[in-house]
Amino acid sequence: MMDWSAWTLSLKLAAATTLVLLPLAVLIAWPLLTMRSPVRLVVDGLIALPLVLPPTVLGFYLLVAFGQNAVLGELYRGLTGRSLVFSFDGLLAASIVFNLPFAVQPVQRALEAIPREVREAAWCCGMTRWQALWKVELPLAWPGLLSAIVLTFAHTLGEFGVVLMIGGNIPDETRTVSIAIYDHVQAFEDRAAGILSAVLVAFSFVSIVLIQFLTHRIGKKEQ
Amino acid sequence: MSETGLQVQLRQHAPIPLDAELACAPGELLALVGPSGSGKSTLLRCIAGLHAAQGGSIRCNGDTWFDAAAAINHPVQARRIGFVFQSYALFPHLTALENVAAALGGLTFAKRTARARELLARVHLDGLEQRKPAALSGGQQQRVAVARALARDPAVLLLDEPFSAVDQVTRRKLQQELARLRAHLNIPMLLVTHDLDEARMLADRMVILHRGRTLQAGTPDEVMTRPQSASIARLVGLHNLFEGTLAQDGGGLKLAWLGHTLEVARIEGKPGERVSWVIPPEGVLLHRRERPSRGEAENPVPGIVQDCLRLGPFTQIRLVPDGGGEPIAFSVPTHVAERNDIAPGAAARVTLLAESIHLMPWEPLAEARTE
Amino acid sequence: MQAISWRRMLVALSLAASALTHPAVAQETPNVAVAANMSAAMPAIVEAFSKATGRGVKIAYGSSGNFRRQIAQGAPFQLFLSADEEFAEALAKDGHAESGGAVYAVGRLAFYVPQGSPVGIDNKLKDLGSASADGRLKRLAIANPELAPYGRATREALQHVGLWDGIKGKLVLGENVGQTARFLTTGEAQAGFIPLALAGSAELKARGAWSTVPESWHAPLRQRMVLIKGAGDTARAFYRFMLEPQAQALLKQHGYASP
Repeated sequence: MMDWSAWTLSLKLAAATTLVLLPLAVLIAWPLLTMRSPVRLVVDGLIALPLVLPPTVLGFYLLVAFGQNAVLGELYRGLTGRSLVFSFDGLLAASIVFNLPFAVQPVQRALEAIPREVREAAWCCGMTRWQALWKVELPLAWPGLLSAIVLTFAHTLGEFGVVLMIGGNIPDETRTVSIAIYDHVQAFEDRAAGILSAVLVAFSFVSIVLIQFLTHRIGKKEQ
Repeated sequence: MSETGLQVQLRQHAPIPLDAELACAPGELLALVGPSGSGKSTLLRCIAGLHAAQGGSIRCNGDTWFDAAAAINHPVQARRIGFVFQSYALFPHLTALENVAAALGGLTFAKRTARARELLARVHLDGLEQRKPAALSGGQQQRVAVARALARDPAVLLLDEPFSAVDQVTRRKLQQELARLRAHLNIPMLLVTHDLDEARMLADRMVILHRGRTLQAGTPDEVMTRPQSASIARLVGLHNLFEGTLAQDGGGLKLAWLGHTLEVARIEGKPGERVSWVIPPEGVLLHRRERPSRGEAENPVPGIVQDCLRLGPFTQIRLVPDGGGEPIAFSVPTHVAERNDIAPGAAARVTLLAESIHLMPWEPLAEARTE
Repeated sequence: MQAISWRRMLVALSLAASALTHPAVAQETPNVAVAANMSAAMPAIVEAFSKATGRGVKIAYGSSGNFRRQIAQGAPFQLFLSADEEFAEALAKDGHAESGGAVYAVGRLAFYVPQGSPVGIDNKLKDLGSASADGRLKRLAIANPELAPYGRATREALQHVGLWDGIKGKLVLGENVGQTARFLTTGEAQAGFIPLALAGSAELKARGAWSTVPESWHAPLRQRMVLIKGAGDTARAFYRFMLEPQAQALLKQHGYASP
């Protein structure tokens, strides 16, 4: 009684979002280390925005921006022939925006936890900033990277509002698990809804425990 | 200006004010000494390239590393410096060998490993190459840091209070090792420290830094026995700071102080001129009760003992001279103090060696004395 | 209900196997937007179509108003079964749908009262007015008149008997008729208006009673379907199938009248 296509879709979306967002998060968090306020404050705020923004607001703006007649929508259609609304591509784009803080913040915290002098020592050894990032900072920040991965993955699996607004409810294309649950409830298929929900809860719980474990590890490193 | 060695002049208002100038020749170890907040670390970091001052220049062996006016600022990586951080800043995820090898980027793996092993042996850490920093003691970590700093054959070696984080015994050992190591290094070396004894032990020359300004440079002996001003005297821990007036007496110029007329070996100026003067504790000799000597005729000063503090084999004495004023501090072997009945309230006489009295331009003492 | 779910899962599985790849492949199984009132009748029709032609379709249920908007914005549906004529024709006018289309069914509205509700049921809605006045009725569930034609019909009917103004403050709006039906079974509303087809479905039949709202009280619920521009063969085949006797018989079973 499993909606395999909904699961495949959800897992695909979560995996794709995480794969794209992880390097993006590093590229965003890294320069933030040396950025000075007030610019830093503004950027931090922008990144954190999806945390407090109602999903429908984000969905609305994305719909406006990605729609067929909008600049981004037309550009995308011109480049790839595909639409950004009611498509997996659109969900992925929306998911990347919506998950930004979940990916960037743990990476940021982990990079900040590295003592300034360790970074400087790397430069004094002749490493370029890029080499220092790759060989010293990222290896030391791995709990943060892992946190980002788990958080982004779990959060994407649970997305509903944005997916509904920008993806609609198109089977195999945008009907993720959370949408499928909503669907089942409306169709009086409580058993199906129950199974999907239970699995999702279990998954989320495991993720939270993993995050807490990893946060503990970062905390220990900061001592 | 010589084309070898390091020449630095830096100026800035913020975040830490700087108005410094120094030079360090190849093979010379220059100590940067000053209280915390005096800008020593900032200065070192500017030389390393970790911070760009607002104005000034840094040249090393003829290369201009930094010139604010010409907008030249070579990045850290290009400057080939070796930096030993106060906290060692070792890479926690790499072994000792890998830490040192990290500075040898341009070589093949085999060459890197061999050279790193060699360097670790030089700092007496052979056998510990595979350990991560967490498995090394403070002293061992420090040695890895030094090996890593030397790996690139740096043009300059910079050490930022490298021994402040270890215990006394380890510090002694590390200082000895540094003293031995530097004998083979023909590059300028800068050591930042707040410990005057350490500077005296290790440095060829030292520079006093106060609120970002370089005040006096010279050999430790020069700076600490012949400070150029009363403020510097205070900074180098000379407590016997007094004021007096130059006076013409008989054939020559003498120092008038509290009614005494003191002979001074190096004296020049005009009669009536006010001066500050200082005398190191070694220049104050106690008159022995049972064995008066000829030397006692030199600058005798009677007084009352204010306090005496027994510190093991030596006793520190403070004597208030007759005529009042600030006490003179000096020390004698404890058995001498006992035999001469030195106790608070007792009368005693001292000789102030003419050779040790050092005159400086007059400065209001109350200010100079405050720590 | 068990049996239907089993078959639905089989259909879904076979569709899923083909749908794991790029959407282009999915043109073989077109997406069909279907008004939520058809959710009771649709599974049987899809199955019959699949038996008859060996082909499948992917159904998405929702309110007609929502679908009209989504399709206008490029949602990849190939066929739209609206609950009214207006939304379908609007798409044709916009140029998103091929003109015309066809009326495939005429729906009826039902007044539904869940078990245990204090509201009395009768086919002239006599008790509804009193229940609202004396407080027995706290919430009335209807579909959103802006989005669902059955909601619109509900409003017309209530206006016809003069109950609309008094009862407006007690409405709880469902985004589509499916959600409205849900409100009735969870006890959120003491009475409501849903399509007759849904009232007769297994889940609702067991949980309450209903009466059919007289047709003269609202504009007829003529349900029109349109093919979206660029529709493929399978979508067209399904379009034709909907008008054939087999499908029409199934629709009649669920309380729809022939067009």
